[in-house]
This record gives sequence, structure tokens and C-alpha cells, in this order.
Amino acid sequence: MKVLTANSLATGEVVFWSRGRWAKAFADGERFADEAGAGTALAAAESQSTIVVAAYLIDVEEVDGHWVPVSYRERIRALGPSNTPQHGKQADGDADVAALVAATFAARSTGRVKLIKR
Amino acid sequence: MYRYDTYDKAMLTDRSNEFRHQVARRLAGEITEDQFKPLRLMNGLYLQLHAYMLRIAIPYGTLSTRQLRRLAWVARTYDKGYGHFTTRTNLQLHWIKLRDAPDVMDALAEVDLHGIQTSGNCIRNVTADPYAGATADEVDDPRVWAEVIRQWSTVHPEFSYLPRKFKIAVTASAKDRTAARSYDIGLQLRRDREGQLSFEVMVGGGQGRTPYLAKTIREHLPADRLLSYLDAIIRVYNRKSRRDNIHKQRIKILVATLGQEEFARQVEAEWAKIEAGTVDLPDTELARIRGAFRPRAFETLASASKAFEAAKADLAFARFARHNVKPHKVAGYAIVDVSLKAPGETPGDCSSEQMEALADLADRHSFGEVRVNYTQNLVLPHVKLDDLPELYAGLKAVGLATSNIDLVSDIIACPGLDYCSLANARAIPVAQAIALRFADPERAETIGELKIKISGCINACGHHHLGNIGILGVDKKGEEFYQLSLGGSGDNDASLAEILGPAVHFSRTPEAVDALVDTYLSHRRDGERFLDTYRRIGLKPFKEAVYANAD
Ligand code: SF4
Repeated sequence: MKVLTANSLATGEVVFWSRGRWAKAFADGERFADEAGAGTALAAAESQSTIVVAAYLIDVEEVDGHWVPVSYRERIRALGPSNTPQHGKQADGDADVAALVAATFAARSTGRVKLIKR
Repeated sequence: MYRYDTYDKAMLTDRSNEFRHQVARRLAGEITEDQFKPLRLMNGLYLQLHAYMLRIAIPYGTLSTRQLRRLAWVARTYDKGYGHFTTRTNLQLHWIKLRDAPDVMDALAEVDLHGIQTSGNCIRNVTADPYAGATADEVDDPRVWAEVIRQWSTVHPEFSYLPRKFKIAVTASAKDRTAARSYDIGLQLRRDREGQLSFEVMVGGGQGRTPYLAKTIREHLPADRLLSYLDAIIRVYNRKSRRDNIHKQRIKILVATLGQEEFARQVEAEWAKIEAGTVDLPDTELARIRGAFRPRAFETLASASKAFEAAKADLAFARFARHNVKPHKVAGYAIVDVSLKAPGETPGDCSSEQMEALADLADRHSFGEVRVNYTQNLVLPHVKLDDLPELYAGLKAVGLATSNIDLVSDIIACPGLDYCSLANARAIPVAQAIALRFADPERAETIGELKIKISGCINACGHHHLGNIGILGVDKKGEEFYQLSLGGSGDNDASLAEILGPAVHFSRTPEAVDALVDTYLSHRRDGERFLDTYRRIGLKPFKEAVYANAD
């Protein structure tokens, strides 16, 4: 499965593609099962150059019933810096963020899971 | 302190206005990201993982309290109420919005600050001894020369598109506090028997993927010929360096390829072509700049202070005095190191409240001056011994009285994967975990001087090559691993650290450091620092200790 992410041009904030719009929370990001759907969304995002910068697709997987990015770099982007839990999206502390935090730092970019400790 | 003249101010105002238009055009879609990116980078604005990051140059690490208060205000108004001091003595704001960036630049320009030349292949912010003007062992104030270099290198048309970035450090003390040997050019000022000032010119140092220590290409350069000689060095570099391979474009590669002697010969030949008086600074201009660094109006005081001695009855204060208070050139004064390394905190981070409190303390006790050290700590350069107890109380009230300078918890760490888009692994949480493990100040004191330096990738912003214990984050099949190396030093006895063995997992890194420390303690002879013991006994015992229980 894939999710499309970028940074907002005006603010730099991490955003996720959600059916033609950009969502702030990873949990609201649209998941693409097929390459074609992901590719169409990426092409649409790339044409929105005054809204976002650096759009790209990331791999996501299901861990304990929650969708999370595969790579820990993307998990940090989806949450915020691990040294300051009060900063970034993790500060919102809603249920989806909590699920991501719980699953996170069990991350990998390839290979095995659950090896990155918080 | 040096204040910008009308030329500097006009340049900053123009740049600010220009940048405001560039941002507006980018937001309106009139220019593309590809066109805009180099423009924002020229002003120190990067896009990182979570937001834009603004890198603000702090020339030779000297800040007035007016500037520090403005940084605090900018951080609170446009960022999350803190800033991150780097190993280049810059300040990074990690949560800037592009749409606010022009206002931020205007606010900074009002106090002579900016992000120009904190990115790109140009001559970057020049660094100098953080104890300048305060330490007894200096032959001159190195900031005079650093300011000369700042003026010469700022928007220098010939040197704005070098093969790669270019960094210069200046020190005028026998004891190097700038890591000069790790710079593209390190300058060590000395005074000869006749009283003439001359520079030892070291070229071709650098860290990153292929670390080198700078080589001396001239022992005695008459100080007044500095700029023409720098011109000659950078011209040779600009002309001869490779531009086809990003990993081979720093001057260190050119010096290593040509050899120290041949490089020096080419520089001398180039220098001979520069007509005397065309590039070097006229004496009148040098005198004008020197005037900005006149010694402060120090009082005549006794060399000992009863108040200071009496306050040492408090053991915590006594510890602060042992580790953070350094001798000053004027009797009755001291240099005070302010640690930004409270165990568990992010190395180099300073909140707006702390900046403001420090500005107040500096106004009261240090002639309104604050310095930034490349170790990611701050310095109050001119404090009366009598004032130290009061200063300590003031620092303690805002969490800035950590007494650990050069000890195991005084760790350099780059932002790493928590912020930096180039990172392979996190650096800050590793520093936090190690510092907490050694948080007991008595244990840290028993261990003594031990410099740990952590980078989140091969770019080595965290100086891991120069760490007594260097730690480099690597990505091994998607997991965070850390390569340990030993025996580096950025001081006068500069050396590059040697790799210990296979990288260890994130979760094992603090215990590996513990094993290294235990090995040192069990082998240490009287008076030896970690580095001395390592140099005497070599890598082997440390290797055995760390990998003994490895699976
Ligand atoms: S060393 Fe690497 S990870 Fe650390 S700040 Fe520099 S570029 Fe980023």
C-alpha cells in the first residue's frame, strides 16, 4: 500500500493526499493499493506547485491493526521529532496519533520490524 | 562590538526586499521551485523534514544582548520558542514558515543578523575563538581578523560559486578552541620576537566522507597580507578543484591530491601575481575595525574574590566553578561557560526564555556580550569573580547552570533524523540517552574530560571524526545503527578518530559507551584523560569490551 505525501509550500508542514485534498494527519491520508491510482495522484500533486513541494509516494503497512509508514524517516515526518514530543503532529495526541506513536519506533525502511526503540 | 555600517545595512535591506519579492513570486506561481530553491538557500532557508529551517549566521560567534533578545523574540513569534546552536556557531530555527520568512529576515536585519552565506558553495560564516578578548593567552583579538574576513567574503563576486562550501576559522591563542585543523582554512595568529603579528596558515582540513586535518602551507604570513593570501588560496582552489564529483570538490581533496608542498607552491605563485595594495586592507580600515573590539572598561580588582571563595561552600557551586569558570586576562574577572547540555535535553537547544534571561545576565555581568562556542555551548566572556554566585543563581533559575563542560555529558549532536532531511539516523536521542546514563555529576567528574560527538550521517556536522568517542548514525537495512570510533580530537593535539568495529544498534549504543568508559577507567594511569589512555593502550582493549557480548 502507498500514501502520497509532500510539504506544504507556504508553511513547510508535512501533508498527506486525501482524495484530491491535502490532510495534515497521516491517518487521514488516502491509501493506494494499485500503482495506477498512486501514479495518478502523484501526477495531480505535481501539478499543484503553488500548494505543495516535493510530493512523493511512501510505503505503508499494517501493524497491529493500524496503518503506519514503513520507514522510520516517514514515521518521524508523520509524528514530529522524537526528542520533543510536544512538537509536530504528535502534539495533537488524538487517537490516530496515539496509534501511530504506539506502532512507531518499531519501524524499518526495509527488512525487519520492531527494532527502532523510542 | 562591531556594528554594521551603512554599506552592510544597505546590502541587508536590499537583500530583504529582494527576498520578499522572490517569496511572493514563488507563492503566486510565477517562479518554479527549481528556480526558487537556490534563492532561498542563499538566504539560509532550507526545507527539512517538518518545516523550513532558517540558519542564521552569528559571525565569529559573538552576540550582543540586543541580538540575543531579538533571536528570542523571533523564535517565540515565528517558531516554537527555541533555537538550536550548531557546531558552526550558527543558530537554526527549525519550524519556520515560508510565508513568514521575509518578516523574519526584516526582524533580523534590524539587529545586523541574517542567513546569507549559511548555505551554498561560498565562503561561509567565519568562526573564531569563543574566548576572544577575554583569554590571557591570546596575542590579539582574533575577531578583528574574523571581521576583516567577513567583510571581504560577504557577497564576494569571485567567490560566490566555488566548487563547494568553504569555511575559515581564526584563533589567536596558543590553545585552539575552534577546531581550526578541521577547517578549509585554519588561521593561527602569533606574535614574533619583534612583536609583528603573523598567521600560520593551515589548509585542506575537513570532516565529512573523507576527513583530513589541515596542513600548514605557511608558517608566518605577515598579518597585514592576510586578504591577498586568502585570495591566492581560493583562486588556486577555484581554478584547480574538480567540479565533476561532489565528493571530491572540497579543498581538502585538492590539497591531498597535489600534496601540501605543491599546493603551497601554487598558492605562492598566485600570490606573487597579486599587486601589493590592491587586495590587502589599508591600515586605516584595519584600525577602524579594531576600534570596534577595544578592550572593555574593566575595573581594577583584586585577583581573588572573597565572595567567590565563600560561595564554594555550596558543593554544586564549587562544581560549577571547577568546570565552567575559566581564567580571564584581567585580574578579578572570569570567563563563564554556559552549558546547553543538561542531561536529557537536546544539545545546543536554547529556549526564548533562556535567551532572554541570559541576555539580562550578560547585561548585568558581562558587558552585554554573549559568545557561541562550536561545542554548542554559550560563553559569558567577562564576569567579575565577585558576581559569580549571583550569576550562578540566575543561570540555575533558567536551567542553564549545568556544570559539565568537556565532561561525558557535554555531547555534541547534530539535529540528525529528527529534523534533517539528509540524515540516516537520529543523533539527539542517542546523546540524550548517554547523557542521562552519566547524569550523576560525581561519576562524570571521576571520568574527567571526555568529548563525545555524534553525527546523523556522513556529513559529520556533529564532528564525530573529532570525538574522543565519535558516533556516526548509519542506516543498516532500515534500522538505526551507530558506528563508534575512538581517539579523535579537535584541539591542539588534533587527530581523527579510528573506527572501533561493526556498528551497534540504537538500543545498545549507550551501554557500548559505558563499556568504553569502564575500559578507560580500568586502564587509566594518574592524570590521564580518556584520550591519553586511548593513545597509550590503543583500540584493542576497547574493542574487546564492546564486542565481548555481541551476538
Ligand atoms: S551530519 Fe548529516 S544528519 Fe547531521 S545535521 Fe549534518 S547533514 Fe544532517
